[in-house]
Amino acid sequence: MATQPLICSNADCSLASDRKCVEGYEIGECPHAGRISIDDIPEAEEPETVVTQPELPIALASGEALNRDRASILQRRRVSRSIGLIGPNDSGKTSLIAGIYDLLQERPLSGVAFAGSSTLLGFEKVCHLARAASRRNVPHTERTSRGADATFFHFDLYQEELGLTSLFIGDRSGEDYLAATDQISQANQFFEIRRADCVTLLVNGAQLADSGLRHEVRAAAPQMVDALIEARAIRAGCRLAIVLTKKDSVVASQHAERVQKDFDGLVKSISASHAGYLGEVKPFVVAASPKDCERVARGEGVGDLLLFWLRANLPTVALGNGTPPNFERMIDLFTHERSEN
Amino acid sequence: MSGEFHLSIVGLPSSGKTTFLAALWHMVREHGSTTALSFDSLSQDNYEHLNALAKRWRFGKIQQRTQVSGAKDVTMRLKDVAGQKVAVSFPDLPGEDFARMWERRELEKSMLETLTAPALVLLVNGDTIRMPDWVVERMALTKKMRTEPSKVEPEDWSADLAPTQVKLVDLLQMLMSGDLDIGERRLALLISAWDKVEGEKQTPVEILASKLPLLDQYLRSGRDPWTWHVWGVSAQGGVYEDPEKQESFPETDKLRELERASDRIKVVDGNAISSDITQPLKWLID
Repeated sequence: MATQPLICSNADCSLASDRKCVEGYEIGECPHAGRISIDDIPEAEEPETVVTQPELPIALASGEALNRDRASILQRRRVSRSIGLIGPNDSGKTSLIAGIYDLLQERPLSGVAFAGSSTLLGFEKVCHLARAASRRNVPHTERTSRGADATFFHFDLYQEELGLTSLFIGDRSGEDYLAATDQISQANQFFEIRRADCVTLLVNGAQLADSGLRHEVRAAAPQMVDALIEARAIRAGCRLAIVLTKKDSVVASQHAERVQKDFDGLVKSISASHAGYLGEVKPFVVAASPKDCERVARGEGVGDLLLFWLRANLPTVALGNGTPPNFERMIDLFTHERSEN
Repeated sequence: MSGEFHLSIVGLPSSGKTTFLAALWHMVREHGSTTALSFDSLSQDNYEHLNALAKRWRFGKIQQRTQVSGAKDVTMRLKDVAGQKVAVSFPDLPGEDFARMWERRELEKSMLETLTAPALVLLVNGDTIRMPDWVVERMALTKKMRTEPSKVEPEDWSADLAPTQVKLVDLLQMLMSGDLDIGERRLALLISAWDKVEGEKQTPVEILASKLPLLDQYLRSGRDPWTWHVWGVSAQGGVYEDPEKQESFPETDKLRELERASDRIKVVDGNAISSDITQPLKWLID
């Protein structure tokens, strides 16, 4: 039988080498002999903890309004129309966008059916304050933030004769568009207008019905178009829809006739000033999100505007005043790499 | 028709997915019933979940809510009238998983296989469709009825307030894009709780157009390659009782008194009515 090597737990004892106890005990009686010294115990290594990370979920499309890059990608998928909505703040841009979406919730609009959208969540947000689920007693629309980049709301729409068309509606703060009338270089950032197949100028009907605001509206609206054309933000040959919004307020006012007259004059003046530059100019009167639907139906006039938006632009080979179309800007339709600031 | 066939049942919370499964499992195993697809054989699979669902269904008790997340895999070995065999598997996914896709814009990787099945059953509870409703029209109604507008705190926006049809369109769009896009698919759209809807005297197609017009437009436009068909389905036939609430209804007793338990089931396709709950599956498989 092999002899077990002697060891002692006392570090000062040399029992293992000389077989003598440093404390003078007989080997069999020493309470420390045979025990492992604390130094002999190897340091325990920390076991490697395997942390299992939960599998990350797959991110789905956000459903929010699109930035310019995302809109560009979607624009290439199928025939598309891009709409630039311009107008001072509170002219009804967001209400118009929300109104079209909410009308399609019920049925096709003027023969145009809903076929899909990448921005359903964005639409839901802008519609909320006009929906009964908001528990409000007066419909309202959130204002678009000033200084923020334009975003695009997207519809795929289906027409029996034309098939599918993608529609992209630009949304930017009205204050930003107004700023371009003060400083024309501001218009350089309006990529959504340069992309537009149809620019749509919104004229606030409620303000036009207000004697105190009326003249300012009549002056500001054409100035905005002037500035954007001067800056070549609106492309040559681009169609222009001029839309009198908030028809419910106009009808309810004591100046409905005067409003119509002022609006007609405004349309005539803009058409005359830019006849050689713009494509077709057409007026519309709408009540996208009326505060009272007793005299004006919710969505009145919106269907006609939608059909105008979906029309193809006529080729702009020769313009009335001999000005060649500004093809330089048309590159924005196909690429987003160009610096525009 | 032969071999394995995978299909998934999808739907928002409380759309009737589990009740549909319960009625389906009962019916294919009910002796003497004539269905487009019938029970073929048991395999080594575990049938505990299905049997428990069918038992509860036969008793006229409402199903317990499906677990909050994760799928319970269910496989049924069926055959058609010509004797062709098919194994139909479909995970029983909780509706919360689909609601999460709309609200949080994310998808658990474990759902990927389920949601890339070539054929889908989409259940929509016809009795709980949330339709869009506008302040201006509600106020006009209040005025007409000469009542005072309610004085409640306005409610902030949240994704779950969206109309049912918006959530469904978004779900179907997601199933046709990104990682879930497998190209053409078949979709059996079942409007459940048909016993609550049939009083409106409309066919399932008409109900789709009148109660879910956005979904109807989306599907008809053909933008996404769905081959779809719509049915009305009442998998219970009426009101079931909640055992936890000790409920007891005469209407449920009437259902129990029917000759066969499967007589409770109503499947409506256009104007044709039957109790064959396998019809939509047969259509998906053909």
